[in-house]
Amino acid sequence: MDPSDRLPPPSRFGLRGLPRRRGLPGVAGGAGGDAGHPARRLGAPGSSVWYFRRSRLGMGAAGVALVFVVAAIFAPWLTPFADAGRGVPDLSVRLQGPDGTYWLGTDDLGRDMLARLLFGARTALIVAVGVVALSVVIGVTVGAVAGYFGRWVDEVLMRITDTFLAFPPLLLAVLVAAALGASLRNTVIAIAVSWWPWYARQVRAQVLSLQRRPYVRAVQAIGVPSHSIIVRHVLPNAMAPVWVQATADLGAAVLTAAGLSFVGLGPRPPTADWGVMIAEGRQYVLSGQWWIAGFAGIAIVVAAMSFNLIGDVVRDVTDPRTRGEG
Amino acid sequence: MKTRALTVSLAVLAVLLLVAGACGSDEDAVAPEPPAAAPAAEPAPAPEPPAPASEPAPAPEPVAEPPAAPEPAAAPPPAAAGVPADAGRFVYASPFPWVDLDPSSAFSAEHLVLQNVYETLTRFNPPGSAELLSPGLATSWESNEDATFWTFNLRDGVTFHDGAPFNAEAVRASLQRTIDLGLGAAFIFLPVESMEVVDDLTINFRLLWPAPMDLVLSSTFAAYIMSPDSVTQDATWFNDGNGAGTGPYTIASLSPSENVILTAYEDYWGGWSDGQFSEVEMRLVEDPVLAEQLVRSGDADFTFNLPFDVYPALETDTDLSVVRGVSMTNLFGMLNNVRLSPEVREALVLSFPYEDVVNNLYGGEATRATGPIPRTIWGSLDDSNLPQTDLARAAATLEAAGVSDLTLTYSYDVGEVEQEQIGEVWKALLATIGVELVLEPLTWDARWAIAQGDPAEAQDIYTMFWYPSYVTPTDFLYSLYRSEELPFFGLSYYKNPEFDALLDTADATSGTDTDAAAEMFRQAQQILVDDDVAVFMLDVPAVSVIRSDIEGYVPNPAYANVVWFYDLRRS
Repeated sequence: MDPSDRLPPPSRFGLRGLPRRRGLPGVAGGAGGDAGHPARRLGAPGSSVWYFRRSRLGMGAAGVALVFVVAAIFAPWLTPFADAGRGVPDLSVRLQGPDGTYWLGTDDLGRDMLARLLFGARTALIVAVGVVALSVVIGVTVGAVAGYFGRWVDEVLMRITDTFLAFPPLLLAVLVAAALGASLRNTVIAIAVSWWPWYARQVRAQVLSLQRRPYVRAVQAIGVPSHSIIVRHVLPNAMAPVWVQATADLGAAVLTAAGLSFVGLGPRPPTADWGVMIAEGRQYVLSGQWWIAGFAGIAIVVAAMSFNLIGDVVRDVTDPRTRGEG
Repeated sequence: MKTRALTVSLAVLAVLLLVAGACGSDEDAVAPEPPAAAPAAEPAPAPEPPAPASEPAPAPEPVAEPPAAPEPAAAPPPAAAGVPADAGRFVYASPFPWVDLDPSSAFSAEHLVLQNVYETLTRFNPPGSAELLSPGLATSWESNEDATFWTFNLRDGVTFHDGAPFNAEAVRASLQRTIDLGLGAAFIFLPVESMEVVDDLTINFRLLWPAPMDLVLSSTFAAYIMSPDSVTQDATWFNDGNGAGTGPYTIASLSPSENVILTAYEDYWGGWSDGQFSEVEMRLVEDPVLAEQLVRSGDADFTFNLPFDVYPALETDTDLSVVRGVSMTNLFGMLNNVRLSPEVREALVLSFPYEDVVNNLYGGEATRATGPIPRTIWGSLDDSNLPQTDLARAAATLEAAGVSDLTLTYSYDVGEVEQEQIGEVWKALLATIGVELVLEPLTWDARWAIAQGDPAEAQDIYTMFWYPSYVTPTDFLYSLYRSEELPFFGLSYYKNPEFDALLDTADATSGTDTDAAAEMFRQAQQILVDDDVAVFMLDVPAVSVIRSDIEGYVPNPAYANVVWFYDLRRS
């Protein structure tokens, strides 16, 4: 089913219609075609935010994600071992188990694992946000242009998109990362290259259905330039599912990036990275030093799950049929 | 409940990732080079005998002295004809790939394979042996007084894998091919002026200057004897898995990125007896964690070059023997003499954490390098002038030279745990004096290809292991630091005519006056040390792991990490 069907058709309410459904608060409505409409208070009963707040699962996941974001941003101030977090070794305390000083133990170069995990959160956050932002920008642009202009533009852009979709995303990411060389920036590019087509298809489908609506025809008739119509009138109504997708993708990006790092296609040492920590900690698991790979694995699970849960809940609360289930 | 289903599937996925990571699953779905997982076909394991304690390390300083006088004479082992009783398949997990299997030009890790397929006229004995050399395809040899004329008597009744008889002409043709190609370790034959076939089983070597020809012919590389037909072929043919030597095994199949299958050569001159291996798989396993798991599970029988932190745990496993031997291998970081000024090179040598690395990494088993040559080889420098870490001086040197904002690249083998650890420790030290070290992990083939390109565009620091072709100081100095038109292994890109001349003189002297040669080798090394052509990091301990039901493995530092499968039996 076309996801756009979940949106009340704007035609029913006209150009400055009654409350349109919004994806995330303040996003779809902000730049939308309903300028002048009194903004609804954030979190008012019946809004998506209101439903989200009522979801214990959603709030729990959001809490965990917040901890993750705070850890990433304030990592240097949260640990006495900030230098270790940045990669400075201290060989005199190699492979120490968790104790009062090193709460989560130390790694093979004597670096505090907690500090490494906190700094690893930075890497993960940069990758997650970077991948999703890049994918959304490329995907939405391509999808909107293809869907709005149709005909040969649509054909060309969508066939290109299909070419990318023909590869399994992870395989494509591995290929691109291997071709570009290992670095944090290239990890972001590699994953984004394999992900943007999904956004492009989603947005194109939305735009296709929207651009035949009378309100779009109306602005076209007034003579508003195409780019302006796309940006101001079409996209705001097409973005809701994109934001839902993007939220869930943050978690998937953390997972995928960890996978790439694990096989040596992530940031170079000594950048703290959870996937690299698992890869390097593997050899120590059999000899009893489980805490390197173990804690890094837990960090990945928790971060990825919290973003995914948020994504799920956001999708549910923006869909009247599943509201309140969370 | 879509939400729940998604949550559950995600959780499963995440946990799988954790498990994959934590347990070191080798079959990770995203591994770009999935290892061949075909389990070795092995007979039901015989009841395990109590694990023999790991081989007692031979005396720590059996310095291989140059030969005093060649006086070997050993009767060939009794040739028991027949087909070997099947001891099953032996699986050798190699961390290093075989890039070039042409016996004339191979000069990397191919000796691991070639030593079992081809033979040399002599073989260098492991430390602690009474004699320096054992007979190989030659049974006895002698030279004139000043070591410029050598006669080798060859073994009778030897055939090549393609059925051709082994004789003096085959020796001459093989070595001539190697000399004519001039690749790899062909430089070991530089003293050879001519070879004369006296009769079917006698060959003379006439030399331009004195050289220990018996020692040269024991070389790990370039001294292999191949059949008359093989001599006419090119490298492509060999790298397709062809080639006929006289060794106990032939290459049955070859898949460069995966494995080499060796099968027993029935008519091997040494004969076969019960309990030997009729088939050997040499499997490329670049991931040390996977290699460790393979030997632990019994899917591989031998491996080496594991991260040193794992050996203590392996020693508690009664199914495994951790074998320690004398090492003639060292590790160094070649400094790019084209890109780096003398001051920067000096600062790098001063900044390297020598003590930290030797004391804390390699399980504390490594020893400080005294210079370009491992201390187990004659002619090496002594301990008197070990480089010391002195960051203050390093910083002052850079400042005096007006160097700032320096970013350098450190190229090392991906999967080499210690090389990465060294890089990270060094990087942290260099950061304190304002130098940024960028770690570049690459596979050996990839980084070697880059290093052989334009030196001005290449890496700044190139880590490398080196083991000798034959046991001589020349090998280290010639291959690594003598001026080269096009870089091969000389990845410091060092050019110094004075050094070249001294090295040549030292080499020419080594055949007659060992003491004088050793002194010249030391002078030559001192030039390298003074010019800071490389950071001489450490002498690498020789440790390998073999299943404890395998008998007959004796590590031989002159042939780093080679296992002669013919010597092995499964108990």
